[in-house]
Amino acid sequence: MRCSMRSIAVAVVALWCAVLYPAVSAEHTNNWAVLVSTSRFWFNYRHMANVLSMYRTVKRLGIPDSQIILMLSDDVACNSRNLFPGSVFNNKDHAIDLYGESVEVDYRGYEVTVENFIRLLTDRWSEDQPKSKRLLTDENSNIFIYMTGHGGDDFLKFQDADEIASEDIADAFAQMHEKKRYNEIFFMVDTCQANTMFSKFYSPNVLAVGSSELDESSYSHHSDVEIGVAVIDRFTYYTLEFMESIQKNSTLTLQDLFDSYTFEKVHSHTGVRTDLYERVPRDVLITDFFGNVQNVVPDTTQDQADQQLDTHNSILELALDKYGTEIPHQDNTTTHHNDQKIKLTHSLNGALAEAPRATATGKLPGLATSIGVSLLLLLLLATLTIPCQRVQQSVAQCNQLFNY
Amino acid sequence: MSSNATLRRCVVFLFAAVYLLVGVPLWYKLTTIYRAQLPMDYIKSLHENRFQDVHMTIPVYIKSNLYRFPDIHDAVQIQVNHLLNSKRQYVPWSLQILPYDEQLLSGEQKDAYHVVELDLDDFVGYYLPYDTKRTVVYFDDPSVVANDLPFFVAQTLIEHTFALEWDHLSHQGHQAAKRNGNSISINYSPNVHLSISLLNGDGTPVAWEISETLVKYFTPFREMLSPIVNFTVDTSIVFHNDLNLHTLSNSTDVTWQDLAHVIDLSELSSSVYYSEQNALNLAIVFPSAKLSPQGLPFINGTGGQETTAAGDNWDSFIVPQWGVLIVNKDPLEENTKLKESYLSPIMYKFAKDIFQLLGLADTVEDLSSLVITMDSFKRLTILQNMDNAVETLWSLLKLTESFEQMSIPLEVRNNVTEALDLRLAIVDDLNNPELGSDAVWDDLLLKSNRLVQLCESSFFHGEMVQQNFFPQEHKVAVYLPLLGPITVVIFIGLVANLKESNAKPEDQNKELTKNEEEEKRALQEAEGLHAVDGEDEIVESTE
Repeated sequence: MRCSMRSIAVAVVALWCAVLYPAVSAEHTNNWAVLVSTSRFWFNYRHMANVLSMYRTVKRLGIPDSQIILMLSDDVACNSRNLFPGSVFNNKDHAIDLYGESVEVDYRGYEVTVENFIRLLTDRWSEDQPKSKRLLTDENSNIFIYMTGHGGDDFLKFQDADEIASEDIADAFAQMHEKKRYNEIFFMVDTCQANTMFSKFYSPNVLAVGSSELDESSYSHHSDVEIGVAVIDRFTYYTLEFMESIQKNSTLTLQDLFDSYTFEKVHSHTGVRTDLYERVPRDVLITDFFGNVQNVVPDTTQDQADQQLDTHNSILELALDKYGTEIPHQDNTTTHHNDQKIKLTHSLNGALAEAPRATATGKLPGLATSIGVSLLLLLLLATLTIPCQRVQQSVAQCNQLFNY
Repeated sequence: MSSNATLRRCVVFLFAAVYLLVGVPLWYKLTTIYRAQLPMDYIKSLHENRFQDVHMTIPVYIKSNLYRFPDIHDAVQIQVNHLLNSKRQYVPWSLQILPYDEQLLSGEQKDAYHVVELDLDDFVGYYLPYDTKRTVVYFDDPSVVANDLPFFVAQTLIEHTFALEWDHLSHQGHQAAKRNGNSISINYSPNVHLSISLLNGDGTPVAWEISETLVKYFTPFREMLSPIVNFTVDTSIVFHNDLNLHTLSNSTDVTWQDLAHVIDLSELSSSVYYSEQNALNLAIVFPSAKLSPQGLPFINGTGGQETTAAGDNWDSFIVPQWGVLIVNKDPLEENTKLKESYLSPIMYKFAKDIFQLLGLADTVEDLSSLVITMDSFKRLTILQNMDNAVETLWSLLKLTESFEQMSIPLEVRNNVTEALDLRLAIVDDLNNPELGSDAVWDDLLLKSNRLVQLCESSFFHGEMVQQNFFPQEHKVAVYLPLLGPITVVIFIGLVANLKESNAKPEDQNKELTKNEEEEKRALQEAEGLHAVDGEDEIVESTE
């Protein structure tokens, strides 16, 4: 009975582990996105559209707003020059209103600074910084970082006020890695000479893609006559076009995305940096970075396990026994369930042979004495039937044991 | 004329002196990055050997209910040590086997320590109660005769009672844990928020007896876990949200991948709005009557223990590091009130899942001896916290060495010093074989949490970021427009004054020579004219 129960328990544990395996095999458990438009003013409309395109994508694929950090000047949707107040479009056909649904901007206007960006990545804030404006990632987080604006060789301007160097981002990633703040990072940048922005990276598990190489501009896609300015950059336009076909169960990979960037479309040479990245882009699902696919584990097997072991040993019962007020306290401390006794299947492994043995001495009071005496009598009787050598050994040990 | 020159000289020198003696040091002081000295060598040595000064000792009292074995504790101690030494330990630890102390283990301290009870039975075995820290070892007379009892006790203690320590603190176990990790549970945090939501796919009015249920079932649970985790709870009813499950309303065979792709938890993943570091969720979902009139056919309804009028059967799912989903098969009727009878089985289920989500239990066996598991969890968490703290300090050290332009505020040094002192205090208590009651482990857990907090606040100090993206040439660019003109004016003035000072004696000599020549010439002219009166004047002028 006991053996069968134990074997059932072991089987249940094995089954449980088997059920859990797919979840355990996943390398990340949460996704975050940091989306930054470093420009401001009306004529940089396209940069807002760029970043809002990415925002739309990651939100559509399941990353909650609480895990999206959106940094943009946010000065075009309600700009007096905008003929479509409250809307930002990525195309002159006005098919997709990027600003239409709720947009939660975390860093707005002059809050979009290099300092805030570095603080965000390294999570170095004063104590009063709200959690909603922090990147609360851990070693299980996949982070998608998108940046767009006006850049040059190894730098990206932040609102004509300051600039971030590629070394700064590389150092920030190093600090994040040091404190295990990410599992993997996918860095995407759409700016002139974008590929220089990830040239200085040195931290592991960072995959990067940029819109243009050194000494090369990154171009806008087209202008909207009604809006009066270019509405989106080419690189991001085609990224969004690709992403619009992706659903949460898509099996397309990042390599498919990279393959979709052609010079005919983007008009510049996109660059991909994979030397720091352990996996091959062909094995990385788009949703590993752009979506938030939560593993789901049915836990019905656990109930079976509980039923097999002991139904009344539930956690809540224990809590109610000890701390509950309505259910009368039942002292289980003296109750031993015979079916819960587990036979000790020992293997001495030589341990006993090498270690000194205990000598049990002392007087046995009351009932114990009578049992001891009975045992002695039994042993004496046994001397008549079993070989002398073993009897002598037993008696010697018993004499040693019950030393009156 | 002469006094003016001296005054000018004094002023120039005074300016130069102020510039050099006050201005330059002040500028240097104000622009130099402050880098407090950290105890680098000590942190390095700790990093190289994390638990160099730790030897955790857990006291275990041994009690024989029938026979009296005066020296059984010594014999068990030898066997325990032998068994522990058979495996390479990542964190040195041992048991201190002590004879049963009636005085100590009475009253409130009754269940505070680990106690081994020896019971005579007809076979050799053990029993771990789920509600105390006792270990019952059953033995038969032959085992006593063969003197195997000490080994049986040692084996039970090491391989069963302290199985978690035995597995996790060994070198092999540590490597395995590091390799595999646990993607189900959240990282340990002393404060966890629980968000309990009722999701109705429709907008019809519903109610639930959640308050009464929580008070009755969950408050004792929270109290029980309070030494380990402090829970805060909020509840809410969300309308028009079935987590997108209506898309599966025509499917009978739904895999976990299908669920993972369909379920949309974005509206419930709002941990950023709670002050606690971590949050766990319980979502009880009812499908929409409009979108899923036939309910969700893939729900087998194994979860509900009893069918109520309020809700039918449900299935439970764990979402790793997020929480628990209770998916009901059928939609809720209008004006339904979910009773305690419906919610209580869910609470039982949730309580069990919380153990998993907190990392308190990895296997079913861990759940069968709860109090012992919780006790071991405290110890493992203390050691894990100490490990994390040293890791953080080491990261801080590497950071400060890598980025020479990064400031190290005094507060960071103070925190580091306090953390290292606190760590030593924890080590002292861990190593003390006389300490081992519940209160001691609770206190050590609190201290270790504080230790982690100090190290984290050191690493993430807000002032340790400013200079990273601010190179030296920027500093020159900022200060040159201000300091350049002042420097030029003062030093050119100083040089000019010095030149003037050096030039004056020669000019005076030259002037004197010139006067003498003029006087001689005038004297000769006067002598030539025989102007006697003029002689007097000449004489006076030459005096």
